[in-house]
Parts: sequence; structure tokens; C-alpha cells
Amino acid sequence: MGKALEGIRVVDLTVWFQGPVAAQYLADFGADVVKVERPQGGDQGRGVRSIKSLEVGDWNQYFMVINRNKKSMAIDLKKPEGQEILHRLIEKSDVFLSNLAPEMLAGWNLSYEKLVAINPRLVYATNTGYGRFGGVSKPSFDMTVQALTGAMARLGEPGQPPIYMGMGSGDAFGGIMSALGIMLALYQRRRTGKGQYLDASLYGAQLYLAAPYLQSYLAGHQGSALQHSRKQAANPLWNLYPTQGKWVYLCEQNADGRFAALCRALAADALGNDPRFADAAGRTTHNAALIAAIEALTLQRGHAELMAAFKAAGLVASPVNNLADVIKDEQAWQNGYFLKAYSEEVNREVEVRGMPVTLSRTPGELRCLGPELGQDTEVLMMELLGYEWEAIEELKAKGAIP
Amino acid sequence: MSRALDGLVVLDLTRQFCSSLSAAFLGDFGARVIRLEGLPVAAKTANGQWNHEADLIHRNKESLAVDLHVERGRQLLHELVARADAIVTDMTRDELAAIGIDFAAASKLRPDIVFGRLSGFGPLGPDSELPAIDELAAARTGMMPILPQPGQPPVYTGAGAMHASVMLAFGVVMALFHRLGSGEGQEVDVSLFGANMYGAALDLQAFLAIGKGDRLLNPISRLDVSNPMSGSLYPSADGRWVTLTMPDTDRWWPVFSKMVGIATDDPRFDSHDKRTEVNRLALIQELEQAFQKQPGAHWRKEFMEKQMSADIIEQFDYPATDPQVSANRYIIELDHPSFGKLKSLGFPIFMSDSMARLDRLAPCTGQHTGQVLHELLDYPVEAIQQLTAAGVVA
Repeated sequence: MGKALEGIRVVDLTVWFQGPVAAQYLADFGADVVKVERPQGGDQGRGVRSIKSLEVGDWNQYFMVINRNKKSMAIDLKKPEGQEILHRLIEKSDVFLSNLAPEMLAGWNLSYEKLVAINPRLVYATNTGYGRFGGVSKPSFDMTVQALTGAMARLGEPGQPPIYMGMGSGDAFGGIMSALGIMLALYQRRRTGKGQYLDASLYGAQLYLAAPYLQSYLAGHQGSALQHSRKQAANPLWNLYPTQGKWVYLCEQNADGRFAALCRALAADALGNDPRFADAAGRTTHNAALIAAIEALTLQRGHAELMAAFKAAGLVASPVNNLADVIKDEQAWQNGYFLKAYSEEVNREVEVRGMPVTLSRTPGELRCLGPELGQDTEVLMMELLGYEWEAIEELKAKGAIP
Repeated sequence: MSRALDGLVVLDLTRQFCSSLSAAFLGDFGARVIRLEGLPVAAKTANGQWNHEADLIHRNKESLAVDLHVERGRQLLHELVARADAIVTDMTRDELAAIGIDFAAASKLRPDIVFGRLSGFGPLGPDSELPAIDELAAARTGMMPILPQPGQPPVYTGAGAMHASVMLAFGVVMALFHRLGSGEGQEVDVSLFGANMYGAALDLQAFLAIGKGDRLLNPISRLDVSNPMSGSLYPSADGRWVTLTMPDTDRWWPVFSKMVGIATDDPRFDSHDKRTEVNRLALIQELEQAFQKQPGAHWRKEFMEKQMSADIIEQFDYPATDPQVSANRYIIELDHPSFGKLKSLGFPIFMSDSMARLDRLAPCTGQHTGQVLHELLDYPVEAIQQLTAAGVVA
């Protein structure tokens, strides 16, 4: 099958998570992504050895999945000779992507001005922490940025600590946002022949992640910024309920017919006949009492039993699964949201996150897991950049490449 | 100034916040987005309040009101599809088939159409027809039980739907890019399920790789985090929450220990291993005490001066007034004809030569019916009047 990004070369000078994920999306859809890393240790993401005090596994899954389908060149960009190699690579490339600090890039002669002089059609993309304007340039990580957006503070039961949306949650979102920005610029370039620079910051992306609630707050609804208890959900039919096993998420409109179906499923005639809950307004007014009453009933059952009753009554609901459930979820496997890949580190097939964006004619594909540090340095220098072996030897002697 | 998607015509057949926002995104960057709506039933009761949601998710769109229950209305839709470059929809496959524009039918009308659809659980598999409800998808994804503190109910964040919104725009633009080079259209599917799974990137991948681990299946107390200096939460003297992300503790320990008043050479904490393994819980307790000695503002100032990746957890009032946010147009001020100056969510991507912009607020239903029929389908004024009189459009 064809590839959507056939013929597009991306120089991926990114570290950790957000930037590598952005480039991963492009690589999955066929772009030739060349990851450029420092010779000493490479991308810091290679060094992650434990997640939540658990070993990452016997293969380096943190790094290998988000850097899949990429090549790797090891270049010391602090050295002018190293910068020269990168400049030659830029001549042959379409996109430059980095999540390093703009000051650092400028110091290495990799500013937009420098690179666009070398390749006027270049799409130059950055992932700053807090945006290109306004002057804030301190280091940024997912959670410290999520903290500022207000998104954490509105989650959880009242009085509980704020809630982080999951390791890498904001970085993953920043990554797809950056990939979208690059696609917009590539589209325009294919039409007009002109490149440009763009920035998708972690802060900007994460503010968008809170869009429904933040927009509501901006319109004056102060409550959007605050924690809300599930015990007081305005619509008791759209709520989380505990069982003897997993929690169950019931997702139904506050309509008489749906309430009647719920009462049937719970075998709760008394609830159905309670005048307080006879209409939608009543169920909202007496929401806390209704939620407590429903909860008392759901707690008497296991989740499978409750789900079966809900299904029989035609109610929309799902058990709240855990990660052990989802990795076995047939729906995820059938849609390619999970894939199997061969890991050369451990010489066996391993399971990885797959393709969440499905294109019918030019689907994403997993060709290989992440590269070894610098595995393609020499071959790319010779075949793509036209270096002679003697020149490569000299650059090695000078420490520009390992 | 030109914009990235100038000249493209996108039909918007969406009903959900996240998919409507995908279409608005294409409009922000220059596409002509035509939103198809049913005939207005009655004047909407706006109850005197700003419709902030519509002015975000339907900004930069035109509205065409057409009755798709009648043959002539569906015919108009088909004529529009023939003139469109892309469709963005969250309708079910049955609903699309009923109006004659599922992907196969739309491709007959416009062979190179890019057909972007939000689904609940993906195009294949036993649950491909489950409704596109983000809460259902989030519940299936495995993260909800582990986000809160131990003993607390699962947490729904809403982030999955927003992830889907951006993924759908990404898929559509990429398909349009491919079309520009090849002349080929295609179908793009993004599901709430898949999007939620990508939001859960690290934990999910870790569990795929490790296949076990209580710490990936159960909530972890903030007083039991793996690295006391990363991913942790501590209360300050005035009840604000402090969060730290300094995974490389060796790098930060000298300046950090001084800041919180722990001796840098305290033998309990003088190596990364001791800080994150051997004496991890002791360090968490020390920091729990230390951060309560000063108010949040003090800590923010310290973090800023020392350029630490650490901050105070804020509510929405912070970005609403943060000059950094307005400087980057993440939140913009708009001049509303009825409500005056208002703040509204802006644009998360900066592009030097093709800035996103706000051309118009959400249209009234049918505001552009005549204009679209005339400009895109060459209907003369009389024909449009006849269609209006016949109740096909409004």
C-alpha cells in the first residue's frame, strides 16, 4: 500500500516524550525520520529504566515505541563540524523538529534563520514549553505544565488532591498537536512551495486539552474550575456506580423512559414509584438521594451481573476496566490499536501501542522498533550526504561523530 | 496572509463537541467549513447568556440548513459532497447510509473525497457500532481506576475526547496531503477508544511490556510515589499544591536540598538510589514537612529563580489572566456583537506564515444557506427561493 508521507524526510532533534511522539506519528505514516542524538547516551529517554518503581521490562519499551520506524544519527552538535553535518542533512530534508530550548538551538547554529538560509523550503517546527512569545523559557515537563492549566485542579472528589491525567498524558497530546501543525505546514508547502516555522507548545496544547471546561470558565461559570463530587452529579443516570467488583459507568440521558429502564434493571420498583424521582427535574433536584439509592442497589451486585442486567434493559454502560483488561481487549487488537513487533533487544515478539489514526488507503505501519544510538550515522553520511570515508574518519577524529 | 488550508471545502456533519471542534480547527487554518444543520425548529432560547460553546466549536464555519428527511434535501447534500474536498462527521454508519453518504456513496459522488469520521470504538471489531460516548471509551481504557488517590472513585478526565479531536484533524489533513500528491481520497477513522488509549500512553505501554504490576493496576498514594522529586504532590503552608518533575535527582539535589532545608550531604539521601529507593519514603515525609513551611507563592518564586521543573497547581483563573497565554494567543479576546469583549479559547499552534485567525463567530442556523447554494452549486436566487418556500432549506 502507498504511504501518506512517502518522500518526506524529517530531522528529529527531540528528547524524552512529546517531541519523539510527534515524529513517531510522521514515521508511522511513511516519513523518513532521522533522529539526531548526542553521542554520549543519546536521547535522555533511552535512560528510563523504571516506571512507577517497576522495571520497564526486559526491553527498553519507553524509548523503543515512540522512536519506532526511525533512523538514528549520533552527532555532537556542540562542535562546528557536527553542526556542518546537520546543515548538510537539512539541505536534504523537508522538516526539522525539535523540543530543545530555542536558546540552545540558536547556540548550535540551528535557529530558523540559519536553517532556512540553507533550505528555503524547510518546515521548522518546535515544541517549546510555554510558547514562543511572552518570555517564559524555563524547563517544562508534562506535569508541571498540566499544573498551570487548571485541568488538574478540577478533577477528583472535593477536598482530594488534584489529579494528574496519567504519565505522559499531556506529552502525548502535545505530540499529536505538533504532528498536526507539521501536517498543516506540509500541506501548504505542497500547494505553494513555501516552508515556514511553527510551534506547538506543551502549555498551548494542554490548555486545549481542557477546552470544554476552560471555555466554560472563560464564559463566567466559576464552577467549571472546581472539583465536583460524583455523589452530586446533576444527572444521576450519567454517573459512576460501585459494585462488589469493578465500578460501572452508566451513560444515559435523564429521561423518564431511561429511568424506567434503570429501575427495571435494578429490580427497584420502589425507586420507580418514588414521587421525588418521577420526572427529570425531580431527579436533578433530588440527585444526591437518587444517587445514594442507586448506589445501594449496585453495591449488592458484581459488575458482570450488573452489566448483564443493564444490557438486558438496553442501558448504555461500561465496566471501568483496568490496564490488565485493556491489553486483552479484542476491540483494541482488531483495530490495530495494539500491534506486535519484533524486538532485537530480546529476540522475540513484543506488544506495542499501535495506530490510533486509521487511514483506509495509506494506513500507518510498524516497520521496526526504535534504532540503536547512531546506527545509521555512517551510512546516511555516505549515501545521503555524500561524505567520503576519509572525511568521516576525520570527523570521528575530531569527535563530531562517534 | 494566506492560510494552510485555503481553498478547501469541508462539510461538517457533526454533533459532538470534539468532532465539531476538529472541523473548526480546519476552519481556523483556512478551510471553508460548511456546517449542515437541520431546519430550525423554533427560535433557540439563548436565555440571555453567551453561547460560549458554539463560539468555540463552530467558529469559522458557515451554516446551511437543509431538511435531509426529504429527497430534494438529500439531493442537495449529494451535490455539495460532489463539490467538497473533505467531510468531517460523527454520524453512525447507519445514519450515513440513510442519507446516502457513507464512504462508498460519497466516493461515487466525489472520487477523491477525504472522509473523516469519529467513531466510538474503531471501524472494525465486535464493538464498532457502539455509540461514540467518551465516558464509555474512557471506562474501557484502563486508566480511570488508577488516577485518583487510593480508596477514591475512578476519575473521568475528558481528555480522550480532546485527543480524538486533534487526531481526527491530523488524519484528515494528512489524507488531504496525500490527495494533493496522488489525487486519491480515502477514509479516516479516529475512535474515542483509540484516542483514550493514546492519552494513557506510558502506563499502558508499560503494562503491555511488563504484563503485571500492582502499581499499574491500583492507585498510588501521593505519599508513596516512585520518585519523591518527580510526579509528586506536596501541600504548601497556605494549602496550595506543589508539584515536582525532576526525574534526574542527581542533577537537582544540591540546589533542591538547600532550597527545602535538607543538608545536601545528609547520608540518607546522598545518592539517586537512596533518594528513590532505599530511603524513598523517608524523603517523601521530609518533603511533606518542608513544603508546609512556606506558602505557594514562595515556592513558585524559588522554582522560577532556580529554573526548576516544578510549580504550583493552579485553577482556570491562572491561564485566564496569564500574560504568557495571551502573548501566544492560547486564549484570545473577542468582540462579541451582543456581549462585548469576551475571552475565548484561542489557537494552540503558531504558524509564522499562516496564522490561525478568528474570521467569524458561530453562525446562526441557515445563515449561509443562500450564499453556499449560490457560490458552490451555482443556484440562481429564484431557485433558492423556491427551495426555501418548499421547506427544503432555510
